[in-house]
Amino acid sequence: MSKNLNNHTCNETLFAKLFKTHAKNLHDFLYYRFGERLNPQDKVQEAFIKLWENCKNVEPSRAKSFLFTVANNLMLNAVAHEKVVLKFQDTKPKSFTNETPEFLLEENEYMQKLQKAIANLTEAQRVAFLLNRIEGKKHKEIADMLDISTKAVEKRIYGALKQLRKDIEEI
Amino acid sequence: MTKDELIQKWLQDNLNPQELEAFKALEDYDALMKLSEGLKHFKAPEFNEQDTFELVSKTMSQKSAQKPKPSWLKPVLRIAAILAIFFSVYYYTTTLTTDISTLTAEKTTITLPDHSEVTLNAKSQISYKKKQWKDTRKLTLEGEAYFKVEKGSKFSVETSSGTITVLGTQFLVENRSDIFEVVCYECTVKVTSSIAERILKPGDHFLVLDGKLIAKEKEEAMAPAWLQNESVFESMPYKYVLNELKRQYQIRLDAQNINSNMLFTGRFVHNDLNLALKAITIPLNIEYTTNNDLIVLHDK
Repeated sequence: MSKNLNNHTCNETLFAKLFKTHAKNLHDFLYYRFGERLNPQDKVQEAFIKLWENCKNVEPSRAKSFLFTVANNLMLNAVAHEKVVLKFQDTKPKSFTNETPEFLLEENEYMQKLQKAIANLTEAQRVAFLLNRIEGKKHKEIADMLDISTKAVEKRIYGALKQLRKDIEEI
Repeated sequence: MTKDELIQKWLQDNLNPQELEAFKALEDYDALMKLSEGLKHFKAPEFNEQDTFELVSKTMSQKSAQKPKPSWLKPVLRIAAILAIFFSVYYYTTTLTTDISTLTAEKTTITLPDHSEVTLNAKSQISYKKKQWKDTRKLTLEGEAYFKVEKGSKFSVETSSGTITVLGTQFLVENRSDIFEVVCYECTVKVTSSIAERILKPGDHFLVLDGKLIAKEKEEAMAPAWLQNESVFESMPYKYVLNELKRQYQIRLDAQNINSNMLFTGRFVHNDLNLALKAITIPLNIEYTTNNDLIVLHDK
């Protein structure tokens, strides 16, 4: 009779597995949605701890929703309605370049525009778009993560792209 | 295929070789590539899964150490509390009254809270309130008891036939079905009964048999004989003698064939039935036969 064995998450092996499966995604989701300012790392930890504390009441199949909902709420509680600014990471190797100063200047300008444009997206668009373009997540994977349909994901991504291009090309 | 459709498919990573060529040929292609490149710089900071998991595990074990309260604890505590209340109430109410009784052939001496002593003869019972003893020295008696009372406040013994009030003395009270007797050994005792009220001085003897007050001679002894395991009688109707015999020995007596109102003067021991029987039958010309368990008395 395995009736009672699996309808809760109070099992350490199971918990570790859930962590492995969802922790990074949750972190990225929070980051892309809310930015870095309110410490997405912490919220991820808090969400998992809350899961453990409530392990009796959460079925494994509901664990992911639980984590995302809790983390999201933790963020919302912490956030004022500020504009989200994602950090622009300078990953280009500076040592070796054969670009002209004008090119570099243009590059920098472009980045700044892009940064602004990303911040201007709706949260829904931004999350879906960046998970897809930066993390390489498939539409289906994103749909599962966010508990929405694949069609909705497609719409958000496409909408984000259009909006970004519009914002960037506006001088 | 329209531009939009191509772009959609590109977004879905769903271009077959032909479509890919068509896509690359779009005028938007460069802008889209530049955009894709630029986006890479906005990648989320690295998430260290291992380290974060260790942090979470540590916090989890800290939290469990703090709160090991399992869900069954509350109901158990509730039950324990109810039981505790129940038992304390029960204990309190039952310790209000102390009852001490003796069975057939049993005697016992008890010490009261004020160090007064009571010795019970067989088949007797006393009751008193231990907690109130300091203020009120009052007890109830059924049967026969010898008292040695410490000097102090008023000491009273209540029986169904009357109350004896005492001041620091030694005295005897016997109250059985039709005999009520008080003997004062070293005392000043007031006896109040439905028949009479007397103040007894040392050696005085108050006796009511079948509702009749009987005059008695002064008691010579210092204490009742049954304290020494012997019953002594003086002109006592035989039936009382037999009753006492039955209390000191586990026997069944048939006395139908004799006159149990005869007066008997004598004694019998408590530790030898045959001797006792002889002692109470020979002087009155009575014989007895043992029929299984039953002792039948008859005239010679």
